[in-house]
Amino acid sequence: MNELAQIRGQIRVVMGELKYLTRLLSVVRDQPTKGLALQQLQSQMAYLTFLIGLLDRRAAVAETGLRSSMGRSGLPAGLGPAPSTAGPSSSTAEPSSSTAPSRTFTRAELATFTGRNGKPAYVAVGGVVYDVTNNRAWSLATHFGLQAGRDLTAEFASCHGAQQWILKTLTPVGRLA
Amino acid sequence: MSNVLPPEPLDNESIAKRLTDEARARTRAGTLPKKRLVWLELTGCSGNIISLMNGFHPDLEYTITEMVDLVYSNSLMAAEGEQAIERLMQMLDEEFILAVEGAIALRDEGRYHVIGRWRGQELTALAAAQILGEKATHIIAVGACAVDGGPSAANPNPAQCVGLAEVVKRPMIKLPGCPCHPDWFLGTLAHLMLYGEPKLDDLGRPLLFYSTLIHDRCPRRPFFDQGIFARTLEEPTCLFKLGCRGPVTRVDCPTRLWNGHINWPIGASTCIGCSQFGFPDKMAPFISFDATREVT
Repeated sequence: MNELAQIRGQIRVVMGELKYLTRLLSVVRDQPTKGLALQQLQSQMAYLTFLIGLLDRRAAVAETGLRSSMGRSGLPAGLGPAPSTAGPSSSTAEPSSSTAPSRTFTRAELATFTGRNGKPAYVAVGGVVYDVTNNRAWSLATHFGLQAGRDLTAEFASCHGAQQWILKTLTPVGRLA
Repeated sequence: MSNVLPPEPLDNESIAKRLTDEARARTRAGTLPKKRLVWLELTGCSGNIISLMNGFHPDLEYTITEMVDLVYSNSLMAAEGEQAIERLMQMLDEEFILAVEGAIALRDEGRYHVIGRWRGQELTALAAAQILGEKATHIIAVGACAVDGGPSAANPNPAQCVGLAEVVKRPMIKLPGCPCHPDWFLGTLAHLMLYGEPKLDDLGRPLLFYSTLIHDRCPRRPFFDQGIFARTLEEPTCLFKLGCRGPVTRVDCPTRLWNGHINWPIGASTCIGCSQFGFPDKMAPFISFDATREVT
């Protein structure tokens, strides 16, 4: 517990430094000072990454401890990486495997992937089915009034017709039959 | 601005404060002509004028007495009835900045919202917007309703409300938000007086206030990156799975904060995307536990 408090304290110190340095960088015009501040900023950021890593390790240890003692359902809500819906919902994190896109979805099948009740959120654009479960523009599996689980080719064209690159940022999971 | 010692604070509050302070100094010195401001309240809830009264940099009293000459605001002015409308109509021969809050009800030629009587005739919100919108030197659409209809135009929209831009076909500054933050309005107004129109994005919003994606400055952001999502509102982690609209909403709430820069929606619940076009229908549902419900 003591160690945890120490890490927290360190993080607060680093945050203070980061705030100061960003402000300094935004006003200072002198090139050498700028370079120095930038270097300090980078090293502070590296230190922060390290501290977060430390916390992550502690959390992981705590989680496995809990799991073995209380069983899976005993997990404290919100703690531990990507909750127990981890299975399908974390798929944006895994590399789009070459086998996944070969899956074929019928419209009825697609309609079940609404992102609700533990299901992942899938949408189809141009015949390809994409996973938007953890896509930041798809909070709660909805996007500007649109629901997941549907073919949104026309909607995509009407708003993002000139932004085809968006599709490249999504994880394909199959094709629409 | 010359009296600010370096390093000059660059946070949003300080920028808005510097703008308004300079406007104050220059109006006092007489080098900046005081402009007239007409605040037209149309189809809405008057929330934006209430929000404006919560302004700190500067406060309302200073705004309406020293910075601008507030010639018409039906909530704040002493005059009433035809006398007030007469005052409003006198403006047609003078220069003024027009701030509009609330949507425009179109149904039955605007009869669903009559704001007063002028020379024995009913003056509808629609007519007032058209007449004054044509004459104003600058137009500021304040709040979600004036920008694109907002809650007034929410489904099923019985009064057929639309945003100001549908009725007044002129360039205007749009300050979406439900309500608009006092700093957004006062900062824009000060900029308008000192340097003219602020730089706008392609949707007409001042970049000064509307260039930050809430998600990018959210204090809960590290949890999103780690995939740690809150399942109830009390958890301090990312609210993405509960319906937070921070990832699609562009405005500086995370750094500016509200009610005297103290707290903001994400301090207690989800962002409902009130400063995004299409609010509220396209931002719905505001909150739901469907995505995080445990299914066995």
